[in-house]
Amino acid sequence: MSRPVAALGVLALVLSGCNGGTVDKHALKRDAEKVGSLASEGGLLANDVSKGRSTRYFARVHAQELARAASDLQDALGKRPTSLGITADVRSLSRLAGKVSRELEQLHLHPTNRTVARSLEQPLEEDVDAADKLAK
Amino acid sequence: MKIFQVALGILAAIGGFVDIGDLVFNVSAGATFGYQLLWVVVIGVVGIVVYSEMCGRVAAVSGKAVFDAVRERVGFKAGLAALISAQVVNLMTLTAEVGGVAICLQLLSGLPYRWLIVIAGVGLLVVVWVTAFEWIERIFGYGGLCLLVFAVAAVKLHPEWGAVGHGFVPHVSAESPLLYTYFAVGLLGAAMTPYEVYFYSSGGVEERWGPKDLGLNRVNAMIGYGLGGFLSFALMITGGALFLERGIEPEFLGSITLGAEVPLGQIGLLLALVGILFAVGGAAIDTLFSGAYNLAQFLGWEWGRYRHPRGAPRFTVTWFVLLVLALGLVLTGVDPVQLTEYAVIFSAVALPLTYIPIFLVANDRTYMREYTNGRLANVLGLLYLVVITIVAVTAIPLLILTNVGQN
Repeated sequence: MSRPVAALGVLALVLSGCNGGTVDKHALKRDAEKVGSLASEGGLLANDVSKGRSTRYFARVHAQELARAASDLQDALGKRPTSLGITADVRSLSRLAGKVSRELEQLHLHPTNRTVARSLEQPLEEDVDAADKLAK
Repeated sequence: MKIFQVALGILAAIGGFVDIGDLVFNVSAGATFGYQLLWVVVIGVVGIVVYSEMCGRVAAVSGKAVFDAVRERVGFKAGLAALISAQVVNLMTLTAEVGGVAICLQLLSGLPYRWLIVIAGVGLLVVVWVTAFEWIERIFGYGGLCLLVFAVAAVKLHPEWGAVGHGFVPHVSAESPLLYTYFAVGLLGAAMTPYEVYFYSSGGVEERWGPKDLGLNRVNAMIGYGLGGFLSFALMITGGALFLERGIEPEFLGSITLGAEVPLGQIGLLLALVGILFAVGGAAIDTLFSGAYNLAQFLGWEWGRYRHPRGAPRFTVTWFVLLVLALGLVLTGVDPVQLTEYAVIFSAVALPLTYIPIFLVANDRTYMREYTNGRLANVLGLLYLVVITIVAVTAIPLLILTNVGQN
């Protein structure tokens, strides 16, 4: 392989965020922040839906986007190798991401149901706290 | 002064200044650093006003748009480098804008994204083909004004106004200096993105501006881009007030509209979506034409959006091919928001290749006669050349070191 091609390959890996690599403490913190962010944003959306302040299509589409992102994180964190001593935390974060994804999926399936939305607010808030703990 | 003439500036501001790049970078900067980067927006707005005025003046006095003058003034090789960089950034931006239109339509209609990409492409094609340009200006310019809902949202979110005021004072963050610099570079790249001046100067030539229109040029640049800057402030304040404390990283276009939904409910959400749709759609048309202008002007073809498509066939084929290419790229599944980040950073790299030739031409008496840059334009112009050169050199290293703003 010529040097420029190799350099481009390295650049592509760097630009892609090297998502297939080992999860170290820094990556765990970043991913925990991401899970917390998705849960927090889902909580805002659920709150708006519960008050009839959103629209059917927006809630359905945006909840699905958030759910997919959480699900992708769950898959990645469930499979990737981890640094020594943080495996339990990484897998725990994976499970948390899965839980967030399932909750957001409920919002996607019931974008106008205020009761469902209200019932999701508390769990999503707890997810944010759990993610915060894992990020520390 | 005829109001529709000012619409050129408003379209350039909403469709050009506030495009998907500004939406993404301003809200993300607010969500990450609160109001600390507001001063960078001011620098970006003044920069684009200075250089738009300059190239509008070049268009009015010499009758030449940017790439006409660039090829003549800096020669074929340097001109070609400028053309290639401009076209690459243009295509990336166009792709992101078309994807943005499709996402907006999806958030409004709930229909499948892939179908909406095709609908967005066909819609843009039909609008550009059958609508008189004056009407495109009006439809997208005034539709984009719905983005003012973010100004209301920013106020309703009750930001800490003292901190907002402090954000206008230039300073450096000690907490995450690299990430802070990355956002500063991105905000400058988004504010001064090259296609804005290509589009603006070509518009001036097509509207047959002459020296008598220099006042209109100045007003267009200042009001149009000033309005764009005001919207950027609102977006960043919304990001800071809503997302920062909650630890939300807005990764989707839908996240940005939550900024209007949370404080204003359904009406805020719908206005935000419609505003983004028109702003991003207008920017897609700007970039589409910019790409065709650049190539046609560089190669000396007939060009012009006021001409019937058959009157400038190669120009027409160029924008059509660009649209098809962008559609193809969006259909590969590339994320428009992520692509936007790359497009903005690459446009930061291309800034000197655009603005140095404009500065040279604006100081050349052969083109400008007695209308060359005055002292203020030269001082500001030179200052900005230094700034954009630093921005261009640091953009890619910052992109890599911060893992595309992920720190």
